[in-house]
This record gives sequence, structure tokens and C-alpha cells, in this order.
Amino acid sequence: MPSPLSVAPTCHDTAAPPPSEGSELRPLVALVGPPNSGKTTFFNQLTGLRQKVANYPGVTVEKHLGQVTLPDGRTVDLLDLPGVNGFSGRSLDERVTMDALAGRIEGVRRPDAVVLVVDATRLETQLMLAEPVLEMGLPTLLVLNVIDEFDAQRGAVQDDVLAKELGVDVVRTDARGGRGLDRVQDFIARITRHRGWVSALGSQPDADDGRVSLPMIDVLTARRRRIRSILDKAAYRAPGLSGFTEKLDAIVLHRVWGPLIFFAMVVLVFEAIFSWAIPFMDGVEWFIAATGGWIAAVLPAGWFRSLLIDGVWAGVGSVVVFLPQILILFLFLAILEDSGYMARAAVIADRSMHRVGLQGRAFLPLLSGYACAVPAILAARTVEDERDRLATIFVTPFMTCSARLPVYALLIAAFIPDVQVLGPFLGARALTLLGLYALGIVAAVGTAFLLRRTFLRGRRADFVMELPPYRLPSPRSVLYRLWDRSKIFLKRAGGIIFAVTVILWVLAQFPQVDGGPPTVEQSALGQAGQFIEPAIAPLGFDWRVGVGLVSSLAAREVIVGSLGTIYGVEGAGEESFQLQEALQQHMPTDAAIALLVFFVFALQCMSTVAVMRRETAGWKWPIFQFAYMLMLAWGGAFLAYRIF
Amino acid sequence: MNDDLRLAHVPMRETVELVRMDLPEELARPLMERGVLPGCRMCPLRTSPSGDPVVLVDGTVLALRRDLARCLCVKSVAGAA
Repeated sequence: MPSPLSVAPTCHDTAAPPPSEGSELRPLVALVGPPNSGKTTFFNQLTGLRQKVANYPGVTVEKHLGQVTLPDGRTVDLLDLPGVNGFSGRSLDERVTMDALAGRIEGVRRPDAVVLVVDATRLETQLMLAEPVLEMGLPTLLVLNVIDEFDAQRGAVQDDVLAKELGVDVVRTDARGGRGLDRVQDFIARITRHRGWVSALGSQPDADDGRVSLPMIDVLTARRRRIRSILDKAAYRAPGLSGFTEKLDAIVLHRVWGPLIFFAMVVLVFEAIFSWAIPFMDGVEWFIAATGGWIAAVLPAGWFRSLLIDGVWAGVGSVVVFLPQILILFLFLAILEDSGYMARAAVIADRSMHRVGLQGRAFLPLLSGYACAVPAILAARTVEDERDRLATIFVTPFMTCSARLPVYALLIAAFIPDVQVLGPFLGARALTLLGLYALGIVAAVGTAFLLRRTFLRGRRADFVMELPPYRLPSPRSVLYRLWDRSKIFLKRAGGIIFAVTVILWVLAQFPQVDGGPPTVEQSALGQAGQFIEPAIAPLGFDWRVGVGLVSSLAAREVIVGSLGTIYGVEGAGEESFQLQEALQQHMPTDAAIALLVFFVFALQCMSTVAVMRRETAGWKWPIFQFAYMLMLAWGGAFLAYRIF
Repeated sequence: MNDDLRLAHVPMRETVELVRMDLPEELARPLMERGVLPGCRMCPLRTSPSGDPVVLVDGTVLALRRDLARCLCVKSVAGAA
């Protein structure tokens, strides 16, 4: 797949100043390292909150750029490149890292120096990255990170020999404890003092040198041999395995305890996003309603107030309300990931995921999907293999996200009698809800199965998972991640919801009747509902439900509010009895069940479509996804209407 | 004789050396990137609940699928327990 990244190599000195970069005057230092080397903690410690996240042009790889103030008072830019194991250039992360070091990325100038961070406790494997990084010809500092554990586990290596053999400076750090970072700053200060001179020294590596054509195994085996001989010279003694990690793994990966702990973790995450988040979500909802009310009281009545309050405030508010839930979800995921448990969870999940055509790494995105598909699709980036990643993204919207819950709650309360079915614990309503969740899972499994035999057929990538030592998550790192994720969520989801709600508002306001807004039936929105009525009549839906479906294209839960408007119920929520009664009058029970089934399948969420377009770099997948889910929704609702 | 020894059949905690990977490059790539290369030391640490091996590879712990472990030809290392 051609990528906008592979721009022709340009000479560094004549390249036009990149417009989007921090400051052209500031030196740029690149941070490189394998995944799990503690590189991100290192970056956070050095830059603090002075960092920003963006995407590299045209690709889904995130660009983390921060600023470091040196002891001499100068400021340099620090670029945290994606964690990579090598430069074979097959994964997007690898290509971005390689191109960034070579100065081949538009808008990112060539770095003046490289800081290569490796986890000292896994020195032998992680040093494999040193050679390709050094070949880039930039002044490089080798950082032996997590040195506290290296020492505690009685590892040994002579830094001076390592430095001499590799031709780099070597420092030892414990980024989490903040030790050794001053020496990193000293290096950066020294290297960047005569910046122009240093840059001129770095030779521009060619985009494709002959070695790429050699079989990878030969290149890597030779590299490994060289690393081994350097380490021998440096009197390297590998640290022992962490006793703590060994003991914990004996339980966490135990035949019986392992799956139990896994299951308990899933229950805990569910409990957190569905119980603990509720008070916060109620708070946000109240805040949005209250501020909307205040603004409405201040502004004069008219189209502007209506647009602002009924359109923007209500629409964007309907997305912001999910922020507490997403924050709590990410808090859990960040802790689980940073502690090292998530890698074990992926291993435990792998066998069953493999059976349906996914893999262990897909577990985390799918779990996130129960809160919201948008962050879940972003999380699918951790799935290495491209086909696996696409399959994961494709089935994620079948997970019952929390935006479906208000719709389920309303329809279940209105149409499903509150009677016991299986003993005193399981009523008909709870059973219906469980059934809707199960239906989503069945659809996801079936879809993954089908995809693997059709569009995403081909060799199965294998599953290899590194199990990092268990570590206490650093609160700082976790908080930065939360901050990052919530910004991305609000930007992605907020932007599209804003646009769609404005459009929906306009459709509801026109054509104007006697200088005022029309009734719902006369409005463009109502006409849209009537227009699609023939298509949805076989499902038992009338034009009113049609309006609800059209309006909930923006976000599923919007249907609750728009049904309220259509039936003339003021301030309708899913708990509104008036709305429930109005629904009972206008809709037969079989149609209500059909509507529930429709919502299990349909991709009624423009935020998901937008994020899919981004993550699959084109419209092909989101359009296919939308059509496929709509087809399933229609078919499922049709069957439900006939059966019930 | 040693040629037939596969990682999948190595007893727990016995250190072996990787000789050859009977895998197409596409499948071997994620392994190679993580340091699984001819000459590396491998030591099965445990099996996961699903029966897949967890292996120590030159100081790094990797979880593999067992079909993959059957494709890795290893030889025992003299002197290793």
C-alpha cells in the first residue's frame, strides 16, 4: 500500500521549513526504543505537560512532540517515535520511525540527535535496535533504562566498553524513579550546542540501500552475532528473571486461577464503566442541562438560541456525557497495561479469539467497545497484523456500546413486562437486555468468521506476545495517557457530532411556516422520515420511528430525544413515563422488539464512521461497514417483527 | 537425531539453542523481530491456560502459539540443566 509517508528523500539543508513544527530554531532530539522499554515514561518525565499529540501526515501513527528545558536554559524539542523492534519497514510504526530519523517525513525536520532507550533487563534482545539506529548517522545516546531492576537482579555490563564498541555515549537511568535523567539532559545540551555543525555531519541515509533485499533472517542473525560479541567484550552478565514476576505469572497464567483472574478482571472493568461511572455521568448531564438553561435564559428567543441550545448544546452534550465512562475505562486499561497484566490477558484470550478469526491482542479493543466504539477502534492499533486489525475494527461496533443503553432502557421499560422468568433473580427485562448483548456477540463472531473467509482471507499471522516484567504503573504516566485519550475522544467525537447536530437542527427548522419553525411532520426531517417509511414499513416502523432513525444517525441515543419531540413529550429521557406511554400507543410490541434488534446491528454512529475512515485510511471500509450493518439490522428487525 | 527436537517438546526449564525455523518468512518475522533467531537461547518457562508455551528468549519472555513452537527446531545446550 503506498503511503504518503514515502516522499522522495530531500536534502536536509534545502528542505523548506516545516510549518507545523514547534520552532525551527529549536534543536530536535528523537527518542527511539523498543516497545516496553519505558520510553514513554522517560518522555513524560523529561517533557512534563509540555507535549502535544498529533498524527503523522496521512497515517494513523501518533506523533508525540514535547519540549525539554536544558540545564543551560535552552529549550529543545523531543520527538517520541513509535516503539519498534527493528527497521524491517513492514509495519507502519517501523516506517514512521525510520523515515523520521532519516528526515523523510513532511513537516518533521531531521533530528539533530537520537536518544535510544532500551530496557536493561532485556539488554541482549533490545540492543538489536542499536545497529539500525546507528546506521542513521546521527549522534546517539544509548540509555540503559530500568537500571534499578537490572542491578537488583544482579545484571552486569561495562558501560565504557559498550560505549567504545558501539561508538555512542551510554548512560544508566531509572526513568520511573527519575534517576539519571540529568545526564541525558547533559548529553542533549552538549550535542545541540553546535547544532548546524552536527547536522552537517550526519549523512543522509538512502531510502533503499541494498541490504533490504537480503533475506531478513541473514541480516538479523549477523546483527545478533555482532551484538553478542560486543556484550561478551563488555563482560555482560544477564540479570536473573524477576522472582516477583515469576511468582505472579505462576498464578496469573495458572490453568485454573488464570482464567478466573481474567474473568474477575473483565467483571471489574464492566462494573466500573457501568456502575461507578453513572454518578459522574449524571453530574455531567446535569451540568450540560443547567448551563444550557442559563444560556437560554440570557439569550433572546429566536433561531440562534434554538440552534445553540437544541442543536449544539444538546448534541455535543450527548457525547460529552460519555466522557466519565471513557475516562474510567481508560484508567483501568492504562493500569492493566502499564502493570503488565494486559499482555497476560491477551495470551489467555488468544485461543478463543483465534478460533473466531481474531487474535489475543484484539481482546483489549473489544472490551473497550462496551463503553464506546471510538476509543476501541483507536485501541485496535495495538493489533500488529493488518488483517487482524481490520477484522478487529470491523467487529468492534457490534459490541454493545453504552450509547445503545438509553435506547434499550426506554424500549424495554415501555414494552417488556416486569415479570420473573427464571426464578427470582432473572426477570423478563434483564433477560431481554442480556439477549441483546448476546446478539451483538453472536453477530461479531459470525462477522469475524465470514470476513476471514472472504475479504480478509489469507495467511494467518501468528501470535507472538512479549510478556514484560510486572511493574507498578507510574501515576504520572497513567494521568498523561488519560489526558491524551480524552482530548482525542472529544476532538474526534465532538467535531462530527457538532456538524451532524447542526444539520439535523436545520432539517427540523425548515421549511419555515409563517416565519416560524414547522411542525415535525412538515419539516424536512419529518419528510425524510416519511420518505424512508416504505423501506421500514416491513419492520413495523412508521414515519415517526423513521425520523428517530434518521436523527440517530448522529448518535444512537439521540433517538430518545427525537421521539420525545415527535410525540410532544417535554424533556423526554429514557425514564420518562409519558414517553413510554406515547410509544405504547403508537407502536405494537413486535415493532418495538424489531427496533431493539435494529439497534443491536445498525451502525447508527457517525463518530464511529469518522474514526473508521481515519483508521483505515479511506472510505472503503466505513462505507462497507455501514452498508453491511444496515443490511443485518434490516434483516434482523424484519425477522424479529415476523417472529414476535 | 537432534534435528528432530522441536521447541514444543522441550521439557520445562531446559535451555536449548534455536537451530532453524521451519516457517515462511512472513510467519517468522514477528519472531525474528523479538530476537528469536538461530543461535538464541530458549527456555520454556510454563504453559498458559490454553496450553501454549511461554518461553524465555535471551532474557525476554515471549508467549507463542503451540503450533508455532512445533516449527522451531532446537538443540540442547551442553552443560545446561
